Amino acid sequence: MRRASIGARLADAGVLVGLIVFAVWSIAPMVWLVLSSLLPQLSLIAQPPQIGLTNWTLSNYLAVFGSAAALGQGIINSFVVASFTTAVALGLGAPAAYALARLSVPKSGAVVLLILATQMLPAIAVAIPLFVIISRLGLIDTRLSLIIVYLSFNLPIVIWILRGFFLGIPLGLERAAAVDGAGLIRTFWLIVLPISVPPLCAAAVFAFIESWNEFFFALILTRQNAQTVPLVISAFAGQYQTVFGQMMAAAVISIAPVIVLAILFRNHIVRGFADGMLKG
Amino acid sequence: MPIIRQDGAVAARAEAPAPTGTFEQRRRRVGLFFVGPALIALALILGYPIVRSLLMGMQNVHLAGGHIKLHWIGWANYDYLFQDSGFLLALRNTILFSFGEVALVCLLGLGAALLLNHRFGRFGILRVFLIIPWAIAPVANAVLWKWILNANYGVLNAILKSLGLIDHYVVWLGSPMRALSLLLIVDVWKSVPFIALLFLAGLQRIPKILYRAAKLDGANAWNQFRFVTMPGLRTTIAIAVVLQTIWSLRVFDLVFVLTHGGPADGTVLLNFLAYRVTFNFLNLGRGAAIANIIFAMSFVLAILYVWLLQPRRRLSS
Repeated sequence: MRRASIGARLADAGVLVGLIVFAVWSIAPMVWLVLSSLLPQLSLIAQPPQIGLTNWTLSNYLAVFGSAAALGQGIINSFVVASFTTAVALGLGAPAAYALARLSVPKSGAVVLLILATQMLPAIAVAIPLFVIISRLGLIDTRLSLIIVYLSFNLPIVIWILRGFFLGIPLGLERAAAVDGAGLIRTFWLIVLPISVPPLCAAAVFAFIESWNEFFFALILTRQNAQTVPLVISAFAGQYQTVFGQMMAAAVISIAPVIVLAILFRNHIVRGFADGMLKG
Repeated sequence: MPIIRQDGAVAARAEAPAPTGTFEQRRRRVGLFFVGPALIALALILGYPIVRSLLMGMQNVHLAGGHIKLHWIGWANYDYLFQDSGFLLALRNTILFSFGEVALVCLLGLGAALLLNHRFGRFGILRVFLIIPWAIAPVANAVLWKWILNANYGVLNAILKSLGLIDHYVVWLGSPMRALSLLLIVDVWKSVPFIALLFLAGLQRIPKILYRAAKLDGANAWNQFRFVTMPGLRTTIAIAVVLQTIWSLRVFDLVFVLTHGGPADGTVLLNFLAYRVTFNFLNLGRGAAIANIIFAMSFVLAILYVWLLQPRRRLSS
């Protein structure tokens, strides 16, 4: 053990204080969100709010599910849209990522850069023509339109995450398969995909969360039947903006599924995405 | 020959999938077959709409009885915009917002990453705290902050008053500049964790041996930071700035829910203006022109980002 100088101890104390400040700053709004959802209106509008344990109640949650049928429908819509668009993005994206990592694609360098660049695209750049096209096809206010449009941001990110992983698989595995007489498609299907379950899950979770949270396309492409959770929450906040506890209960319900997914898969998400953005 | 028929059948089955052409030709054929559907899908949902949007920016688009009428008007939409006070205000707001947001997010993100990279910062629970603000929907985030910032019952007023920092409750979203600043802070709160993770990934790419070498040369903590960490992070910082600028141009949900552009259009960002002009005023051509301006800004930044990745590509291959 080296002797710790006063300066080093001060630095350690500084780091500790910094970490505590950072943790409180990150988590305090979330604590207040959950706490408000558990308090009745009278405790919330008291000055200062009465947050004692004796006041806690689940009445806001019961009221939200009782009064806002739209929330239930919204959750179903969000679930259907996010699941299908994720499945299609993986189905189209996984082979494409493999081809770009390992097979021979003409101008593959340019294609890779193009796919990277499409991730930078603001939604508004394609939103107006997509709105016109989807209106003409009579698909406004359908879940199908959202499933298709959400591919525009899910497909590039899925390809990007998976290509990064496929590049890292040792070549020997595929060579061995080729020596054993497996064709390229069989090698992909029987050798590569089974060992790629963790990155496939990471890409799927990422696409699911992005789709679940998406607001802008849902705002312009849905009216009532296909409204997803963020739209229901936004409408609810406008309509019942004085019923604070219920508003927070609705928000908690809307974010619970993605929070659970994000916490469970946090390491995969970080490795797949944060690292992915730093390498070409 | 009935005796060897069984063996013959087996041999035939083994040879059946034997493909034609050289290995290289098969790699190309399967490659095309694998990448084709994804590229066609992207061309339809991204490529075609971008081209249409660029064209619509030069058109006057009329919605009449469910039909769309188009007239070519050249650069008139853009000429109009650059003389329109509403557009110029949104442009100013966007520039202020993006500069402030990027500077704060990158500084706080770097600070957080340095803390998390310290031996005290490696508790798993801190990573959980990081991922939560990133994962929650921007709309839920906006609804939450609308409640926190509520002028009469918001917890921010309650805390500040009980600490004696304010005398009476403040209408946080009441004036244009204050509303824009708060919009910025709320967005910073949500954006810092991801940039912190990006910096953390960058920090972990710096070879440990450099630190050991610096220590042998007698470098203290500050000099290690100054001469090893900062040079090692240079590209990561540049990438973070560019990515965060692109993402700041996309902010929409927060404006829509928290302020809806008010007060006095003080929080109208370009993205929100494009939405309002297109879907509230139904001026699709002019809306597309605004969208194209945002697209052009993002496009330049995206090229910058791809360019920044280049040296790393050469190093890694």
